[in-house]
Amino acid sequence: MNDTLIPDLSPEERFRQTRRDFLATSSSGLGGLALASLLKQDGLLGGDVNPLATLQPHFAPKAERCIFIFLEGGPSQMDLFDPKPLLNKYDGQALPDSIIGNAKFAFLQKETATVMGTKRVFKKHGQCGMDISDLLPHIATCADDIALIRSMHTNQFNHLPGQLMLNCGAALLGRPSVGSWVTYGLGNASQELPSYVVMVSKGRGLPGGSSTWSSGFLPSSYGGVMFRNGTSPVLNLANPDGITNEMQAASLAALNDLNHLQHKHIGDPEIASRINSYELAFRMQSAAPELVDLAGETQATLDAYGVNRIEPPIKSNLGGIGNFQTFSRHCLQARRMVERGVRFVNVIHASWDHHSNLDPQLAHNCQMVDQPIAALLKDLKQRGLLDTTLVVWGSEFGRTALGENRPGNKAITGRDHHPGAFSLWMAGGGIKGGQVYGATDDFAWHVDRDPVSIHDFHATILHLFGMDHKKLTYRFQGRDFRLTDVHGEVVKGLLA
Amino acid sequence: MTLASSRFFCLSLWLLPSLASMAADRVQFNRDIRPLLAAKCYACHGPDEDKREANLRLDLRAEATREAIQPGQPEQSEFWKRITSHDVEEVMPPPSSPKQLTESERLLFHQWIAEDAEYQQHWSFQPIRDPIPPPGEASHPIDAFICAELSRHNLTPAPQADPATLIRRVSLDLTGLPPTSEEVQKFVAECQRLPGSDLPYLRLVDRLLTSPHFGERWARHWLDMARYADSNGFLGDAVRPNAWRYRDWVIDAINRDLPFDQFTIEQIAGDLLPNSTIDQITATGFHRNAALNTEAGVDKEEARFQNLADRVNTTGRVWMGLTVGCAQCHTHKYDPITIRDYYSLYAFFNNTEDRDEVSTKAPALAEITQDRRQTYVHMAGDYARRGPDVMPASLSALPALQDSGQREANRLDLARWLVSPQHPLTSRVAVNHLWSKLFGIGLVSTHDDFGATGEPPSHPELLDFLASQFMRQGWSRKQLIRLIVTSATYRQSADHRKDIVALDPLNRLLSRQNRLRLDAEILRDSALCASGLLTRNLGGPSIKPPLPGDIFDVGRSVKWEVSQSNERYRRGLYILTMRSLLYPMLTTFDAPDAADACVRRERSNTPLQALTMMNDPVFVEAAQALALRVIREAPKDIDLRLRHLFFLVLNRPPQSVEIQRLSAFYREHYARVESGGKEALNILGIIESTTPSDQRLQTATLVGLARVLMNLDEFINRP
Repeated sequence: MNDTLIPDLSPEERFRQTRRDFLATSSSGLGGLALASLLKQDGLLGGDVNPLATLQPHFAPKAERCIFIFLEGGPSQMDLFDPKPLLNKYDGQALPDSIIGNAKFAFLQKETATVMGTKRVFKKHGQCGMDISDLLPHIATCADDIALIRSMHTNQFNHLPGQLMLNCGAALLGRPSVGSWVTYGLGNASQELPSYVVMVSKGRGLPGGSSTWSSGFLPSSYGGVMFRNGTSPVLNLANPDGITNEMQAASLAALNDLNHLQHKHIGDPEIASRINSYELAFRMQSAAPELVDLAGETQATLDAYGVNRIEPPIKSNLGGIGNFQTFSRHCLQARRMVERGVRFVNVIHASWDHHSNLDPQLAHNCQMVDQPIAALLKDLKQRGLLDTTLVVWGSEFGRTALGENRPGNKAITGRDHHPGAFSLWMAGGGIKGGQVYGATDDFAWHVDRDPVSIHDFHATILHLFGMDHKKLTYRFQGRDFRLTDVHGEVVKGLLA
Repeated sequence: MTLASSRFFCLSLWLLPSLASMAADRVQFNRDIRPLLAAKCYACHGPDEDKREANLRLDLRAEATREAIQPGQPEQSEFWKRITSHDVEEVMPPPSSPKQLTESERLLFHQWIAEDAEYQQHWSFQPIRDPIPPPGEASHPIDAFICAELSRHNLTPAPQADPATLIRRVSLDLTGLPPTSEEVQKFVAECQRLPGSDLPYLRLVDRLLTSPHFGERWARHWLDMARYADSNGFLGDAVRPNAWRYRDWVIDAINRDLPFDQFTIEQIAGDLLPNSTIDQITATGFHRNAALNTEAGVDKEEARFQNLADRVNTTGRVWMGLTVGCAQCHTHKYDPITIRDYYSLYAFFNNTEDRDEVSTKAPALAEITQDRRQTYVHMAGDYARRGPDVMPASLSALPALQDSGQREANRLDLARWLVSPQHPLTSRVAVNHLWSKLFGIGLVSTHDDFGATGEPPSHPELLDFLASQFMRQGWSRKQLIRLIVTSATYRQSADHRKDIVALDPLNRLLSRQNRLRLDAEILRDSALCASGLLTRNLGGPSIKPPLPGDIFDVGRSVKWEVSQSNERYRRGLYILTMRSLLYPMLTTFDAPDAADACVRRERSNTPLQALTMMNDPVFVEAAQALALRVIREAPKDIDLRLRHLFFLVLNRPPQSVEIQRLSAFYREHYARVESGGKEALNILGIIESTTPSDQRLQTATLVGLARVLMNLDEFINRP
């Protein structure tokens, strides 16, 4: 039962099934079992009762883990990834109705809006000759590993619904995030760290807060665990003042013994499961601080990620000031996490919502993320991890070719939200790098070729993890829910 | 095929005498056939005409027997040929469907057709009956139903739990707080003085039912269903400064045992009652609790549509146990709910505007009826695609609304329809919710799905008995809970039984009680209660216990000003619920996210829970206060102090082997604290200044012990 995969059972059903089998076959309870055997990986408990027990995917996976870099707010695609020479030619002129159609905007005044040119210079990079802006010189050196999708589109033009769409597959609160679905489908490969970790550096703040990594209607054990900055990265990880590790170990021993006595008396397998949880927590107490302690990294690595670099001055920034080192650290920690069996890592930065002051602020944000993200890709590659680690750069939507002329603006210095077409890239983990997928029109307004919806993007991620997005379901409110709702096609062209 | 690995068997386990005699029994449509048709066939051959294939529908007998099924003649039936065909072009379900039939399921279909292919109305749409409890020795009606089923399986109930367990169980269940040591001792002594008498227990139950904490405990369940939060959700997640007034209304309504029919009417249509009171208008906050997108540039019409759809879905779910939300985009695939039905229900809410009432008359967030709006069917659930006009109406498969004459039916008519004695669902669903809180799972295990894909009740007659009893006793929540907790079934021991692991691994027959992991809030309350820290005030604005800056700072505009003094030690249900910043301790223990109506909480068991119990400030402070309490209350003898500590936490005296282990731990921990010097005394924390100076070492050691005891599985569970 444990090893065989029953194709038409969802992980939920498989879990309940194994649990049922467990309950049905455990006739004498566990009181007599030694603790060591309780804790053995894939042992009686690890394999059968723990909802985070590892599960087999539907078919052989290409990706075993994912680092999803979510740059909140909508970075401008035509200033970063999707060069549009006509922007400067038409700078200051209106776009014809035939292009704009009945588009809705958050702030832009449609009647008087005009095209905003770009100062960016695009060059071809890598053997593939991928056009990337001068704001991303480091990432440009990884072009041959990157599949750049220029034809993403979404149906949400406001931040939070758009972000919920990107992260959770629906523009509604209460849905599980991609990381939660992956954890639900595959379980936790680590015996001492959470399966799904989130790191946030913020300026203006993340609109959805923790709903961005929520388990939604899935059990909370599948939700993301936010890692904090500092030596106690998980909330409540550190012992209280006055409790040493030695005391903690002895406390746990007493706790386990008393729990065992109770288990012997009552026979509830949940007690054994609870003992297991405490052991895992205790291991996490040493594993998580070790994870964020960079003392073992070489100077060359620290420098490559820019962990100690100096942030250039800027007067004000939506994405915050003082995040350079934090973001570098998050990227390096992300590598350390996937090395240690964490399956899904969210690296989040807010915000890239450049309605105004786009040029200086976009440049500042890019400078912050460019070097560490490139370092991460190269570091993973050099360690042989990139092949099995999917790296994603993405945001909830893109921005308009039209400059933002919201009432009260003195000058046009930014762009409004644009869901109709935007760029996102993926690398590693079964992705065919060195390619540009899809294309947009002359103003990055509409997708011209090979559109990729958010559902397609999600279906592709699940596929890389060896899961059929149509079969990964969870029954809620009388319906089998999927990450992709009733949509989504795997984008074959992105696969290696 | 093993018993446990058959999904079918698990679905219907409690209804079958045994697998061996299954074939001998007549097949019952509701029990055996409908779940199969719904799960495997209705998606293409069910109520939804848009998705219907080959013009065949199997959910109606007249349609199914036109060609596909020849009653009494399975071999002549196209249906049978198709489900047994080996031709990939012919076979049903098609090979591409993830929902394939098993051999035993095919055989069931065969037998059903052979037995004339009878259909039955879905059980939950049939009128509620008033069954007489089966004869037998049991004097309590619930026990009569439960024992009758147990004896069919040659099982007997478990013995009654011991008095200390009973008082802990019923106190946690009725008030969400553990009993005090004095209450336990008094109750145990009374039980010893009156052996075999029910009197001490009945008195205990009556005392708990009148406790003001009863309202807090049961309000929390309702607030889960009301998707109660103190903020709007979405970008900005603005605080709703008056949301708590609705929360307090619920607590008060439950404490004064406002009959459930009136409770329903006031929440759905309190504003439409003649001369409605401020209280009744506050009650309508129920639907105002839904999340609201106020982001700049939001499409107001779309936001409004989503908000009203949420009200329809929530009403269907909470009162009727129906997944009406499925019909928002298309006619329901499994249940007789058309898309037209959906928007007819929507029409009741479409004339409602929200207003933040700031006047002193009604300071709550209330519903006010505005000018009439025409409602349309929205094609494919798209707010912008209008289909035919609809008028407010009840679901077509259920009894009709009372005639409102010339006047268009309104929310008040809807509310009265829901609680009319003819409504087959409301009372069943409400009873099932209450039952589930007292046993961990409802008689219908799919609390939010009483439809075709939900599971049928484990004890249908008992469910109907309780549902009719509930209405007969004036929809009194307290009377119903009293009826349930005074049964022997409820009072059984929760010890696991070896004799049911194969037969009834999920304990659906209730041959014992279930141990239940405490709800998040109750766990916190229990620790505060045992330590004596708990602040017992009822109601008022929500509180903000301490939270590290980097945790709350992740959102856009959340300010978390920590509540002062003893406010932080109030019960968990008073903690401010920000939709973008769910309080981590509560979320870790499966408190809902207020996105949708939550009719059943998970009870997970994770390492993060262990970290929370060991290190979250509220539990550390409770351990500290508890240690000081023991120092103050118990004599200086360490053995007596350990026993007192044990009793305060677990509501029972320790067994000898337990006290031995605790004593050993005390000695080694004392030595470590002693050698730890000043550092080790930091564990005194909030009791640093109040600990007697000559007992600092011992107190610090006891904090360590209190911490261990409050992390025991026994403390974390309702016995």
